[in-house]
Amino acid sequence: MQPYQEEYIANLNAIIELATQKKPKEQLFEEYYAVMLANQEKIGRRIQRNIALLRDHLFPMLDNLFEAKEKELCDLQEFAGKLLDKRNELDVGLFCQIHQALLSMVRSKKNRQAMIRELYWLGIGRNNLYNKMIGLSQKDSQKYVYRMRLCFAEAAAYLKYYDEIEDRETRGYILRSRANMALGAFPSVTERIRLIKRTLQIMQDKGYQEKEPELPWDQFIYQTHQLMAATISYSKEKIMTPQDIADIMESVYIVYQRRLKEAKERGEQLPVRPLFSYYAIEYYCGLDTLDGLLTKMEALMDAANPFDVSVDGMYGIISLSAFYCQYLQDYPEKIPERSEYIESLYRRILNYVENFPEESKNETLFYYLRQLSYTFVETKASVSYKEFLQKLQVRFAPEIFIHSNVVGRAAATFCNIIMKEQPSFFDDIEEVKTIKNPEKKRHVVVEYAMECGLFHDVGKINFINLYSQTGRQWFEEEYEMAHLHTIIGEACLSERESTRLFAAIAKGHHSWYDGSRGYPETYRRLECPYRQMVDVVGVVDWLDNVTTSSRRIYTGVEKTFDEAIHEAVALEGRRFSPILTAMLRDKKVSEQIKAAFEEGRREAYQKLYKENW
Amino acid sequence: MVMESVEMEGIKGEKGYLVVERKQNGEEKILYADQGACAVTGFALEELFGAKPDIAAKFVTEKVKFDNGHKLWILDKEGDKKQYKTRLEQINIALEDALKEAEAANRAKSNFLSNMSHDIRTPMNAIVGMASIGLAHIDEKSRVQDCLGKIQTASTHLMSLVNDVLDMSRIDSGRMTINEEIFSLADLVHDIAVIVRPQAAQKNQELQLVIGQVCEEMLVGDPLHLRQILVNIIGNAVKYTMEDGKIYAQFSQHYADDKKDVIWFDFLCEDNGIGMSSEFLKRIFVPFERVSNSTTSKIEGTGLEMAIVKKLIDQMGGEIVVQSEEGVGSKFFVKLPLFIASQNQKKQHLPVGQTVLVADEEGQEAAQAVKYLTDGGLVPVCMESGLDIVTWLTEAQYEGRMPCAMLLGRELSDMPVLELAAHVRQLAGKNFPIVLVSEQDWAQIEYRAVRAGVNAFVPCPLFQSRLLGTLSELLGGTQKDNETFSKQKTDFGRLHVLLVEDNEMNQEIAMELLSMIGVQVEAADNGVHAVETFEASEEGYFDVIFMDVQMPVMNGYEATKRIRMLSRKDAKSVWIVAMTANAFIEDVRQSREAGMNEHCSKPVDPERLQEILRKHLK
Repeated sequence: MQPYQEEYIANLNAIIELATQKKPKEQLFEEYYAVMLANQEKIGRRIQRNIALLRDHLFPMLDNLFEAKEKELCDLQEFAGKLLDKRNELDVGLFCQIHQALLSMVRSKKNRQAMIRELYWLGIGRNNLYNKMIGLSQKDSQKYVYRMRLCFAEAAAYLKYYDEIEDRETRGYILRSRANMALGAFPSVTERIRLIKRTLQIMQDKGYQEKEPELPWDQFIYQTHQLMAATISYSKEKIMTPQDIADIMESVYIVYQRRLKEAKERGEQLPVRPLFSYYAIEYYCGLDTLDGLLTKMEALMDAANPFDVSVDGMYGIISLSAFYCQYLQDYPEKIPERSEYIESLYRRILNYVENFPEESKNETLFYYLRQLSYTFVETKASVSYKEFLQKLQVRFAPEIFIHSNVVGRAAATFCNIIMKEQPSFFDDIEEVKTIKNPEKKRHVVVEYAMECGLFHDVGKINFINLYSQTGRQWFEEEYEMAHLHTIIGEACLSERESTRLFAAIAKGHHSWYDGSRGYPETYRRLECPYRQMVDVVGVVDWLDNVTTSSRRIYTGVEKTFDEAIHEAVALEGRRFSPILTAMLRDKKVSEQIKAAFEEGRREAYQKLYKENW
Repeated sequence: MVMESVEMEGIKGEKGYLVVERKQNGEEKILYADQGACAVTGFALEELFGAKPDIAAKFVTEKVKFDNGHKLWILDKEGDKKQYKTRLEQINIALEDALKEAEAANRAKSNFLSNMSHDIRTPMNAIVGMASIGLAHIDEKSRVQDCLGKIQTASTHLMSLVNDVLDMSRIDSGRMTINEEIFSLADLVHDIAVIVRPQAAQKNQELQLVIGQVCEEMLVGDPLHLRQILVNIIGNAVKYTMEDGKIYAQFSQHYADDKKDVIWFDFLCEDNGIGMSSEFLKRIFVPFERVSNSTTSKIEGTGLEMAIVKKLIDQMGGEIVVQSEEGVGSKFFVKLPLFIASQNQKKQHLPVGQTVLVADEEGQEAAQAVKYLTDGGLVPVCMESGLDIVTWLTEAQYEGRMPCAMLLGRELSDMPVLELAAHVRQLAGKNFPIVLVSEQDWAQIEYRAVRAGVNAFVPCPLFQSRLLGTLSELLGGTQKDNETFSKQKTDFGRLHVLLVEDNEMNQEIAMELLSMIGVQVEAADNGVHAVETFEASEEGYFDVIFMDVQMPVMNGYEATKRIRMLSRKDAKSVWIVAMTANAFIEDVRQSREAGMNEHCSKPVDPERLQEILRKHLK
């Protein structure tokens, strides 16, 4: 790699380290707070440096990619490889950007082998982007799946010319691309199974194997079976045909037998994943009832080792629980008799994460927790979804939590001022309107505003790499992707009782008051009874975004607090509610909000300082 | 109407007698009369004797027949009164009829006024009410905007109402003339589609506009009134069909048996809406008649549309037939004679025998495209899965048998068509024609479609002339092999481009790419040079400036600002495109703030360059 590439990677690692730094034991709050603020400054400097590195070195190189020397291209590929490898996702956006540029170049040069390779890697990058869409409807996330799948499909099409392409590595890329076409969601599960079956036929074809015996065929075939077996995890039994189930069953048994053999050889117990697939396929075949399957899943979860931090361990504790809750969501009549179990299940998971070493840096753990969040079953006795989400923010996305707390505190302050002047301001909200006592009403609104702030950005948890761990400014595609946090936020908050009241705020806080711009398009201000609160959270969120140094770096917008107030007023009636900007014109009001930002930040760090799972 | 006055005064109860003799030949004469008869009839005795009895007939109250065949007529002034009564009764009946007629006319007028006042008042109420609400919330822009939107809707409706009334009045007074001009059936149908599709979309209805057998696309007739007829019928179907309902409209033709230059235009519109009772069906073409029940009370309309339709069709010499069943739906059949335009259609140059890839799910539209392509001498290959298409194209490219174009239909089995277009554009390169066939309004999808790499658009319903014409334009007219195929598409020859690029190699590549497609390029190697070159050129000379951002002496942002500040007409309008690998969102914003119109990533994608240039050719 070239020195600037190494420096860029080092900066990314340092940023992650700084962003996830834990409180050393015995450290006093004031000291901790000062360190944290200093860390933010350090992160800011690293980000600025990374932006400069890309501007001064990478972009000029991409500018002149046709002229690049072989060594430079190799370095570039190595650099991209560091940005996203199997274990680490340092900067998938830049990874895609580099491979896209390389693909354009090799297409122009008609370098077929390089094209196949670049298509494969671009597909891998896009698959990674797609994995962030968990919780989003298929409609909203599908474009990322298609973009990924088309890359793999094009690379896999060269299978027909397998004999003519003599390079082993390229043949490997073709075969892996063929298998990867089955990644991501499909319009129908049958379609996915058909594709994997065809891939299996190809992998098992002696003709292909004999021409390239050095390739890891056994591994390819086994991984394809794993892909098929995994179909069971996100397929509902009601939409599978008997043939689908039969196809999956074969792969499940193969994976099961192999894992059993491996476990015996190592003298270990069979891991949970193949066991679950085995039990599940028995249920899908009609050999077991749903109650039977759920009971077996409970036994597996109970038997999971709470100190096992391997991928299998995490699967047994968290991912399996997510699938268990998915069944309960599909069959809610099964919930009442299991409410106590659900309660203990969530407690157990929270304890597991509490004791997990370096939990905030573990991608898999975080992915499984997002799965759990998506299928969360809220009962009266269980941990509330609100509590779960807040813990997820604190533990994995502290920067988002700090910003949310700041926005909550500022929104609460703003609402307090509003309620003193106009007690009926929020009366479009049914829950507020029914409160007769003005003092109680004000208190309820202020509390509500605080929580709205706390959960308005909850959808950003999916894109944590774009926020807390981004080591540079966003690209246009990432900016678009970041917009999805409003839809994801709304989708998860609206599903559960404890968070339902915050859903509209998560959805609408980036929309413009006059509807002319902003996002998402589906938010209709005048139809939303919570619009006044959306307006309040929207304006304070914007003020914090453009004035907080660590946040403004992503978008390149940079303002002092006074400049921001001035601009908010200038956007009166367009972006922001004129009623609110009229209040912001009053210096006393804007000063109170500014103070609330400071207070909210300090308070957030205090919570982080004290917070335990 | 003149009222006849009947004098009834002075009629007394006097009586008289006549004896009437009847001869063998059937003639009758008065044989005897008394004084009473003179008094009753007002004739003298000598006048009565021998006279025909008819002169007293109106006073007869009774007739008595004698054995000898004579008759005794008993006369009475009252007899006249009875006659009067009879007449009066007749007059009264006539009067009643006239009154009924007048009342009906009056009722029609009242209905007209009542309908009009209701129909005018409803939107007027909305306009007045919304204006008041808007004024009361003048500081709340979104509220005011909402009110203005509603005012606009209401006033548009009001305008259509007034137009209908004026049309009706013109037709009634015979002032409506049917024009004869050459028009394209494709244009007509597409205009109709643009009008009715959004209406159906608002109600989430499935509106199918289908082209049946079309023999002649260029016709002679009155396209404006024809459009009015068809829009009114489809518009009514949309209005009287529930949300999520279905409307099917088919346009076809058949030749007239007797006249060679005439073709019959057949139109069918079928819906599964609320339908009409047989009773209402009789009055469907009466002005102001509307189906009325709880479902329709909220449907806007004057009740004039169908009356106008009928009168226009009558004037055009056509026929309209309606079938309907309440709760099931309605069918309208229209048949109109139109002249075939003698003018020749534009000659198409298609690479006969070459393959065209049709990417669409199986269905009527795909089948139609296949038929048209086959008729045009092309070889269609149909596929409905995006993944299969990418595989097929990759293989075709590898084997050097690329199709000459790809038609993108409405949908694929596994992904949206524009996602496929974006990938195929990369895969197949800059010169591969991708044609989108869509029922959506092009203006609404142009930005996304062009960005995805679509070269051309053909609207649905699909007409052969449109499809083959577009392909002919794209394919440039002669059969060429794949290698030279790329050079024939669009004529960029009249475009003048200023390329600002400091890097020699990049400048050379871009110059080559632009020159290859015939663009006239001048180069500048830094910002200062760019400003000087632009300043020295004639106004309007340069169409597009491709501006590198990072350059020595003066960067691209600064150069753009300087150009925009120049006091010449084209300084503001010349299209400036940033060419840079700087892909941060801030870079995009910064280039816009500097006055650049677009952002083009490096390494330069030749297709992207052409896409930008193509926009300027439009």
